[in-house]
Amino acid sequence: MSLDSTTYDALVIGGGIAGQESALNLAEMNYKVLLVEKDVSIGGKMIQLSKVFPTLDCAACITTPKMSETARHPNIRLLTNTDVNEIVKDNGLFHINLTVRPTYVHADLCTGCQLCEEVCPKVIEDKYNSNMVGQKAISIAFSLANPKMAAIDIEQCIKCKKCVKVCAPNAIDFDMQPQNLRVEAKSVVIATGFNLFDAKHKPQYGFGQYPNVINAMQMDRLIAPTRPYNSVLRPSDGKVPDNIAYVLCAGSRDSSIENAEACTNGCANNPICSQICCMYSIKQAQLLMGALPMADITIYYMDIRAFGKGYEEFYMQAKGMGVNFVKGKIAKITEKNDGSADLVLRYEDVTTGKLKEVKHDLVVLSVGVLSDSSITQTFTNQKVEIDNLGFIQSAHELVSPAKTSIEGVFVAGAASGPKDIPDSILSAGAAASEAAGYINNLSAN
Amino acid sequence: MSAENAAPKILVFSTDIISDPGIDQAGLLKLHYSPSVYTISLPCSSGIKPRWIMRAFEKGFDGVFIAADGHECSYSPKCSEYTNKIIEQTQEMMREKNINPKRIRMAALCSVCAESFVSHMGNFSKILAELGSIQSEISVSQ
Amino acid sequence: MKQRIGVYICHCGGNISDYVDVQQLGKLMAKEDGVVISKDVMFACSDSTQKEIEQDIKEKQLDAIVVASCSPKLHTHTFRGVAIRAGLNPYNYTQVNVREQCSWAHSDRPMDATIKAYGLIRAGINRVAHSEALESIEIEAQKAVAVIGAGIAGLRAALDLARMGNQVYLIEKEDKVGGRVLTAGKLFSSGENGKDVIEQLVRQIKQMTNIQLFTNATLGKVSGSVGNYYMDVNVNGELLKLHVGSVLVTTGFDFYSPGEGEYGFNMSDRVMSLQDFNMLVEGSNGQLMHNGQPVKTIAYIYCVGNRQSKGENKYCSRQCCTAAIHSSLNVHEKFKGVKAFHLYRDIRTYGKHELLYEESSRKGDIYIRFDEKEPPVVEIKNGKPFITVKDYLTSKKELTLDADLVVLVTGMVPRSDSTQISELLKIPIGNDKFFNEVHPKLKPVETVIKGIYIGGACQGPKNISESVQSALSGAAKINSISRKGSIKPEPIVARVDADICAWCNKCAEVCEFDAVKPIESSGKMIAEINISTCTGCGICAPVCPVNAIEIAYFTDNEIESMIDGFAEPADIAPREEVKETASTGQSKSLAGYPKIWRTIAGAMDDKTLTIPEIAGLVNISNHEATWNVMTMNRYGFIEAVGLNDDETHYNYKLKR
Ligand SMILES: Cc1cc2nc3c(=O)[nH]c(=O)nc-3n(C[C@H](O)[C@H](O)[C@H](O)COP(=O)(O)OP(=O)(O)OC[C@H]3O[C@@H](n4cnc5c(N)ncnc54)[C@H](O)[C@@H]3O)c2cc1C
Ligand SMILES: Cc1cc2nc3c(=O)[nH]c(=O)nc-3n(C[C@H](O)[C@H](O)[C@H](O)COP(=O)(O)OP(=O)(O)OC[C@H]3O[C@@H](n4cnc5c(N)ncnc54)[C@H](O)[C@@H]3O)c2cc1C
Ligand code: SF4
Ligand code: SF4
Ligand code: SF4
Repeated sequence: MSLDSTTYDALVIGGGIAGQESALNLAEMNYKVLLVEKDVSIGGKMIQLSKVFPTLDCAACITTPKMSETARHPNIRLLTNTDVNEIVKDNGLFHINLTVRPTYVHADLCTGCQLCEEVCPKVIEDKYNSNMVGQKAISIAFSLANPKMAAIDIEQCIKCKKCVKVCAPNAIDFDMQPQNLRVEAKSVVIATGFNLFDAKHKPQYGFGQYPNVINAMQMDRLIAPTRPYNSVLRPSDGKVPDNIAYVLCAGSRDSSIENAEACTNGCANNPICSQICCMYSIKQAQLLMGALPMADITIYYMDIRAFGKGYEEFYMQAKGMGVNFVKGKIAKITEKNDGSADLVLRYEDVTTGKLKEVKHDLVVLSVGVLSDSSITQTFTNQKVEIDNLGFIQSAHELVSPAKTSIEGVFVAGAASGPKDIPDSILSAGAAASEAAGYINNLSAN
Repeated sequence: MSAENAAPKILVFSTDIISDPGIDQAGLLKLHYSPSVYTISLPCSSGIKPRWIMRAFEKGFDGVFIAADGHECSYSPKCSEYTNKIIEQTQEMMREKNINPKRIRMAALCSVCAESFVSHMGNFSKILAELGSIQSEISVSQ
Repeated sequence: MKQRIGVYICHCGGNISDYVDVQQLGKLMAKEDGVVISKDVMFACSDSTQKEIEQDIKEKQLDAIVVASCSPKLHTHTFRGVAIRAGLNPYNYTQVNVREQCSWAHSDRPMDATIKAYGLIRAGINRVAHSEALESIEIEAQKAVAVIGAGIAGLRAALDLARMGNQVYLIEKEDKVGGRVLTAGKLFSSGENGKDVIEQLVRQIKQMTNIQLFTNATLGKVSGSVGNYYMDVNVNGELLKLHVGSVLVTTGFDFYSPGEGEYGFNMSDRVMSLQDFNMLVEGSNGQLMHNGQPVKTIAYIYCVGNRQSKGENKYCSRQCCTAAIHSSLNVHEKFKGVKAFHLYRDIRTYGKHELLYEESSRKGDIYIRFDEKEPPVVEIKNGKPFITVKDYLTSKKELTLDADLVVLVTGMVPRSDSTQISELLKIPIGNDKFFNEVHPKLKPVETVIKGIYIGGACQGPKNISESVQSALSGAAKINSISRKGSIKPEPIVARVDADICAWCNKCAEVCEFDAVKPIESSGKMIAEINISTCTGCGICAPVCPVNAIEIAYFTDNEIESMIDGFAEPADIAPREEVKETASTGQSKSLAGYPKIWRTIAGAMDDKTLTIPEIAGLVNISNHEATWNVMTMNRYGFIEAVGLNDDETHYNYKLKR
């Protein structure tokens, strides 16, 4: 396939695990695929994770080979740092308008040496590490990024151009312009994943206010081998935590968020269960028991939903290792005012019915999954239906779970509802199967 | 000028998909380890032949380190068991030749285990330095 | 042995050449046996160098090339492409990693890095000298698929496989299709009726000319391998012979059947399983009746036959909480005034199913949590079930309930004949006794036998949507084989030396992929490797007592010559102008970096300090200090030097 061809069998939107899996399945069937990712690297949430339940294998070991297979598959063209502007369906064909945003580094020249990063004097927030540490204005997004190339955060760049001087292959180009592309595709797979609940919208938990109240994605970063602190430390003062609490269902199974209408993205009344938090918390607890053998770990929960293959066994294993499970809903978290930066959790112990207060030195909010339906707005002449919660609605959930309201548009992964990795992968396979059947019938007719 | 650093020479057997990328990460992060460490990457640690390890000792390597995949191996759930068997078998051969069985070591290493690799190399180098050069046990051909 | 080798050593624009003396190495390698040309190049992967190598291969008739640059994970495919374009077999090229595993890893010791690079490249030359031209052979694959089990998963996968252009043989052992869904009544989450869903699917299947459905059909002998399986199927007593490329197994599950007296089971017909209860609801109209008597109170007991921490079935059946709550909602919708008590351990209405749980609570259903250690007790008094349970949510208060019906929310267990299927198709069984995939994330529907896939509830408990998704995933994998029409396995496979092999079976025992079979050759039995299923893992090689097995590309010659190459003494001259980047012994300059970094560095000086101590010295918050110290650590200005005496914090020190 000529890589700059403009007609594809399928457009896959989103390069998380679901998008990669759909693209690879279709490419392996000899269909030509265009994979569009809005970030500078593919990988989605999974590449940020430490180890993954229930097999506790290292997320990077599983994702990176898949990422490189995706990036170099002869039937896949990958566009990163790219926005989908508009998708119009006409005469059975999708007409797609894209913009490749400039990274100010030429992908084909950059060797990933990071010399530019070393000399860059501008320190900014490292989003990949949930800003628990800084990075430079020119950086490789993270060490396992694919494509592995530097990119400049042009808004924060001070244009000192020190990087230009050290870059041997002359890969850095401050004159790079956005590029507009028009392509056609016979089918579309939406794999745009999910948003994490922004815990600031539960002010009673003090996230964003107390540095030692962190979210679970931050904890996954802290225990990952590519972690920001080289060991598990709490962000307030670098102390080695020894009494960690998990607050499950933070922003899930919850319709009590005040003023939900007024806030946009990242906060909403979220009556559903996020399906992954029980398990990732149990996973993190197990990993922490290994990293900090002396630490006490308590998980405050409503129900433990260890439902998948091997999950109940994984839960039992955590109990056996000494993780403390307490049934109770945390009402409020406050910081002690003795300068210790420790936290006090107030909750009702349901087994005794009594209000209790306990102290922990690090609190992890097991934040939930919210929908991200923004991609549906790019379909301008037909509508991709979403459900009440903003997830892509499956047109026939039981029999054709990947179908959407537009013929030829399919959905994979957490874009249609909360899913863990194994479920996301299976749903991506189903989307590929349905898309392939659809494309095959187009050409047969 | 020839190799003068007396650091123990280590041959590492790594695996293409998991542990070799972990060793790459160490380089990427400029986590330094002994330059007397050489690596051969294979599909699976359970495919290492004892005769290769013996060859390494004959050629002057002071130690052989197997960076296995452990339970992450995508070929066999019994990978660790098989690799262990290979090690036992090799140690048998080593004993016959009066080579200290401590000169062979295994650990599971994942694709981002850069620090852990470096610390393994450090520890193993220390152990090997205590054991002394392989030439004290066998004569080495070049 | 290759005699016309080309060697290319990359500067990587300084990434390698700042530490490793690539120019000198280029000259030294030119003198090696068999090396015709040896060069140092600025960027090996650049277009111009690729063309240069292609030209060299053609002009100098190179029979092998070595590229010493970055990790093989990055550019193996690039340089294999170079070889192919120049007419060289891609396996006559070897990549040597002198960046990640040399110049970067030893950037502190340029001379030693150069010595190591010498050994690495020598090993690469030795290896490539022993390299062989390997060709993938192509094996024709049938565009036909057998789907075993016509439940919702099998029906649905058959339909997609047919749409994708495959000939499908759908094999069902019962006289009707639809599996468990056929009799499940009203379904979550769509509210459709199971029977309607199946009928609709069957209509669509009948329209497809490329699906052949066999009922009353059982699987017999199976032979062959991926692309070409031969299977006997007994259809109504007649033998049917199939030749297919792949097999998808969707044989589903059995209901757990409670033991005699388990929660009163079989002691009264008022104690029934959820599936029987669903049929009762389905069949009643106006008022819910059981044996002619109205049902006013129902107690659902959850996790029957599941989550047994001491028993056999440790797993959770995933969909039963939702199924039971959904049944309860169906009852409320259809009949007025029925009271429901749910005796549960955890309510696992994950994801959007939570909305059903919420609705049921809103409708007044009462939820009572029990613990596995103190399960509810069901006694039959005067023909009516009488339940005692300790409610864990109200300080274990003991409650007693009279119920007209007790519904046992029973879980899923593997099909009773699943061991038979597992033996016929060599599908591994997991700890939970369901069929086991190779890996839940890497190969979630694959079995270790290539071309045999599993989907639906035979893999483990799943609801309908999930069963369909896994079966369709299997269909997608199968279609990638059949659409190509052939399989082209990598040529890196095991091979057996027929002269030495004495067929001891040891290799066959360890091969996970069933790739080794005995055949007769010159009057004796020897091992034969099926190259379409061999993965080249090499596990069989070390177990052979007579060393008759080698893996192509990893032969004894190749590996042992590499070891020899590493051991070659290097005669390296000191470099005239060595860039001393990291080894100058001074701390890196902080000029240009944020002012707070310089302040921190100034305050730390020679001391080892914890973060709160640093924060105190420079008068910033602990939190701000953490962020900055960690960022400085990341960019190599500060390093951790172990825990403090209280083991509460790490000590940090400026890096010199
Ligand atoms: C803290 C935490 C721990 C977890 N741990 C585990 C675990 O141990 N095991 C497990 O099984 N699961 C775990 N999960 C769940 C796992 O992260 C998800 O199952 C998985 O990431 C879903 O994959 P996805 O591809 O559907 O979505 P995502 O990972 O969200 O990927 C979506 C991709 O689409 C891109 N995208 C979005 N919008 C657009 C657009 N408009 N245009 C182009 N691209 C777009 C995004 O940039 C992203 O790359 C965890 C989740 C969290 C939050
Ligand atoms: C009480 C209860 C209620 C449920 N309600 C719902 C609901 O409302 N919504 C929902 O989404 N899910 C529900 N489920 C789950 C649903 O039943 C399963 O997800 C679904 O049946 C799985 O489909 P399957 O095709 O994998 O297996 P099955 O339905 O078991 O079908 C397997 C088929 O394979 C055939 N077969 C078996 N062995 C062989 C063999 N050796 N050779 C040939 N053929 C063979 C069988 O005869 C059968 O036709 C419920 C489950 C239970 C227990
Ligand atoms: S832009 Fe240049 S200096 Fe930066 S990583 Fe890429 S090649 Fe290196
Ligand atoms: S789904 Fe619910 S009833 Fe079924 S085994 Fe799991 S916890 Fe028990
Ligand atoms: S190399 Fe691996 S897959 Fe091939 S025959 Fe040997 S053990 Fe089996």
